[in-house]
Amino acid sequence: MVDEIPGVDDLFADDDLASSQPISVEPAPITEPVQEPQVEVHEIESQAPVESPPQSLVARQADAEFLGEKGGVVTGRGRMEAAFGTGDGDEIATAQVAQVSSEVAAGTIFHQVYRPWRGKLNSRWVRNWSILRYHIYGLFSKGHKPWPMMTKLVVFGVLILSIGDLLMLTVGAATGVEAIERLAGISRGNLYGHVLSFWFRNACTYPIVTALIIGGMISEDRRNGTSALYFSRPVNRRDYAAMKFLSVAIILSVVVLFTLSAYYLGAILVGGEGWSYVMDTGLLFLGAFLAGALLVFTYTSIGLALSSVSSGKFFPAVAFIGLILGTKMVAFLIWALFDSSAIYLISPYDNLAHVGQWMLGLNHTYEHPASWSLVMLITMNAISLYILSARVSSLEVTRE
Amino acid sequence: MYGPHVALDEMSLKINSGATALLGPNGAGKSTMIKTLLGLIQLTSGDGEVLGYNIRTEGDSIRQRIGYMPEYDCLTPEMNAIHQVKYCGELTGMNTKVAMQRAHEVLEYVGLRDQRYREISSFSTGMMQATKLACAIIHDPELLICDEPTNGLDTKARGFMLDTLFQVVKQGNRSILMCSHLMDDVEKICDRIVMIHKGKLIAQGKIEDLKAIDREIEIWVWGGASRMEEALNDAGLTPRRTGRVMRVVRQDESTYDLVLELAAKAKVQIRRMEDYEPSLEDLFLVIMDRLGYGVKSSSDLLQSQPPTTSVAPAPSRPGGNF
Repeated sequence: MVDEIPGVDDLFADDDLASSQPISVEPAPITEPVQEPQVEVHEIESQAPVESPPQSLVARQADAEFLGEKGGVVTGRGRMEAAFGTGDGDEIATAQVAQVSSEVAAGTIFHQVYRPWRGKLNSRWVRNWSILRYHIYGLFSKGHKPWPMMTKLVVFGVLILSIGDLLMLTVGAATGVEAIERLAGISRGNLYGHVLSFWFRNACTYPIVTALIIGGMISEDRRNGTSALYFSRPVNRRDYAAMKFLSVAIILSVVVLFTLSAYYLGAILVGGEGWSYVMDTGLLFLGAFLAGALLVFTYTSIGLALSSVSSGKFFPAVAFIGLILGTKMVAFLIWALFDSSAIYLISPYDNLAHVGQWMLGLNHTYEHPASWSLVMLITMNAISLYILSARVSSLEVTRE
Repeated sequence: MYGPHVALDEMSLKINSGATALLGPNGAGKSTMIKTLLGLIQLTSGDGEVLGYNIRTEGDSIRQRIGYMPEYDCLTPEMNAIHQVKYCGELTGMNTKVAMQRAHEVLEYVGLRDQRYREISSFSTGMMQATKLACAIIHDPELLICDEPTNGLDTKARGFMLDTLFQVVKQGNRSILMCSHLMDDVEKICDRIVMIHKGKLIAQGKIEDLKAIDREIEIWVWGGASRMEEALNDAGLTPRRTGRVMRVVRQDESTYDLVLELAAKAKVQIRRMEDYEPSLEDLFLVIMDRLGYGVKSSSDLLQSQPPTTSVAPAPSRPGGNF
């Protein structure tokens, strides 16, 4: 009885499929190959498997490699040749679509090859330049700091507004209306107004631009943890803070100092002025430029100090505007009550304005000496830089 | 030191090339040690060298040769992966073009070839971890420090991350210092460990060598496990028992004979007796047990304060971890 029980082999003994046609994963040709391939072996690699037997096809695919990835090589040339043929047209071709190599069938998605790099790393200044470029180029180029669109638009808008006096001068020259030229021409008042006028420049434009720029400058590094990317690399904290400072200062300088220079040079060119004009007004321009530089420095240091004490970009922005406008407002109210301009020493803007008036030789609108304002400005900057330095030192590489 | 708190104390260690794990509970001093190795903390006393550079005076040179992969998020969410990695290369000192070329290479290596132009904010945790790894290896560092590289990853992503790190060591011939709470991960990648606790070094060396410190014999008994336990205790072998499975420290070759003799006297059958192959988890438990902390598993590493009890933990299953 036991011998009569058929074995597994016996069960399939009469199975024609199992005995004569083994299951194959190779693509079946449309017709049987009738002749040997007449192309060089090394040329076949990128061609369709015209008459190649399946085994050799598999071997070639396994050897093929593109960017470290083996198998599945189907080039444009291969497709063209499969479609139209390269020989006399009598050979029997088999069109090939993207085939899965044996390794892909085994579950490998791609070849993970670690490629060493033996390049030369540059010095500290190249690293610092990359930080600077990252922040500045981000305003008009992709691949750098992703500034919000609102910030980009505001910076661009304020830049246009800041050259309004130059545009006015150009219009005056173009139309020949002398009143416009006199109104917008170079003078102590106009140079002062370009940098330090309150209602337009320092109430509406410069503080807002500064607030938007400094908002996330350091606080976002703290919030996103990106400080680890800096400090786990050969970037020291002094360079980090300096490059952040320089980035903000350069953007503000474009808005304040570049437009001031454009205005001055434009006035010379539009008016066709000579060297004597430059000699007469050069020092005025220099005074306005220095006052503008002081404004840029002060706004940057206060702004970055506020950014460094926060972990969001909203607080520093609001706090900066509040500090500039709020102190001015408080000082104004107290001054109205007690009639003492010394209270304006608490306002960064008024200190800048007072020093600017002194630099340009304008009549002072404050009763206290300009030197007091200068000392207060230096003190404010020193405190801001100290806070910035202390907070940057506390930025962590590991968990905060 | 952090104020009055001594973060690392009397620590003298040498880490050889290869893959080394840095283990220890939270607050043990792992982060401080990483920062020290990166040359970011000034030592109050002592000295050290990383890759031949002094950690007191040559921090920049050290960080130029080290890749650091932080545990927590450190990427700019609004940036594309390719630009983020490129920027990391530039921060290390690479030229822009070279950094971009290399960023493509490393993102392909970590499996983000097709996602490299996607915004990081749209990435999954695994993709973010891969991006962090790409940032760390863009300059092909000699030493890669990974802080919890598989943190938050699912099984598939975790396996891929471990394979990737393994290849950095084997294929790239680079060294890795890996902090992890997952002993399985550590065992898969590392052949050495450095274990610190409360700022002090408590174990270091090859995992295999450390496992051999306490070689144990596992005994499966039948009929009178308590009698057998008593007999072993009387003989000074201090078994650790769960049900009918117990382990005793193998003192020498005669321990086997002694166990058999004791079983005969206690009239207990020994169904199975074999050398126990400890895992890294076991090694950790033994070390913590010696320190007087009754931790039950490596997950207790996540606790800031170790448990005050020193009760020997029970095995979860016969033959399982004690």
